[in-house]
Amino acid sequence: MTMATTNHTLLHPELVLLDVMAFNQEELLRELSSQLLSKGYVKDSFADAVIAREKTFPTGLVTSGVCVAIPHTDAIHVVKPGILIANLREPVIFKEMGNGVNDIKVEIIFLLAINKPESQIGVLKKLMNIFSKADVLLELKHAKSVLETLEILNQEIA
Amino acid sequence: MKKIIVACGSGVATSQTVASKVKDLCEKKGLRVQVEAINIRNLEAHIKNCDMYISITPYEKKDYGVPVVSGIPFLTGVGLDVAMKQIEEVLRK
Repeated sequence: MTMATTNHTLLHPELVLLDVMAFNQEELLRELSSQLLSKGYVKDSFADAVIAREKTFPTGLVTSGVCVAIPHTDAIHVVKPGILIANLREPVIFKEMGNGVNDIKVEIIFLLAINKPESQIGVLKKLMNIFSKADVLLELKHAKSVLETLEILNQEIA
Repeated sequence: MKKIIVACGSGVATSQTVASKVKDLCEKKGLRVQVEAINIRNLEAHIKNCDMYISITPYEKKDYGVPVVSGIPFLTGVGLDVAMKQIEEVLRK
């Protein structure tokens, strides 16, 4: 299995952000995208692309625990793959995926920089499995450090 | 073999993930099915050649000619049993 390697190429300590503050969704996505840009994961076109896509195809998800969002965009804007995790200090409003009408209060963002979905699907599936585990999402929400956050994620995704 | 299509805005992350999950769950139930992730821009072309459409984007409530089910439960687990039941019904026909 190559899952372990794939996993480690997607989760990085430098992509875990805690206590993130933003007034609105666009400001948040712009800030998070600039983090990915400065660390070499995406091109500078990523921010606009991800913001535009979120308007047409929103990615907020209501789960049994903490509401999350999985913003992402086309592979052409991605340099190398990674998942940025942003734990928000205050919820930010996203539209609900699939219906595009409901406002939901998102507390954790998983900003996906994906360029080869065929090879990254294993990790993505496991990431989505976390969304059906209320206890794990709450643990993530209350994680106090980058290390703690990664430990929780690695346990689920490894 | 029956065919299900899953469409999302980019055909990159979510549709492929949902497609793969649906396939896994069907296999667990012993249901053979082809599940294909597509870009929503190509929906018109693909929908003619499938038995079911799983939607994870806001969609028009119109007659697609095939049953439509929401794919969100495959991402959140909320309402998963109901969604699987709908898929199973189509596949066992």
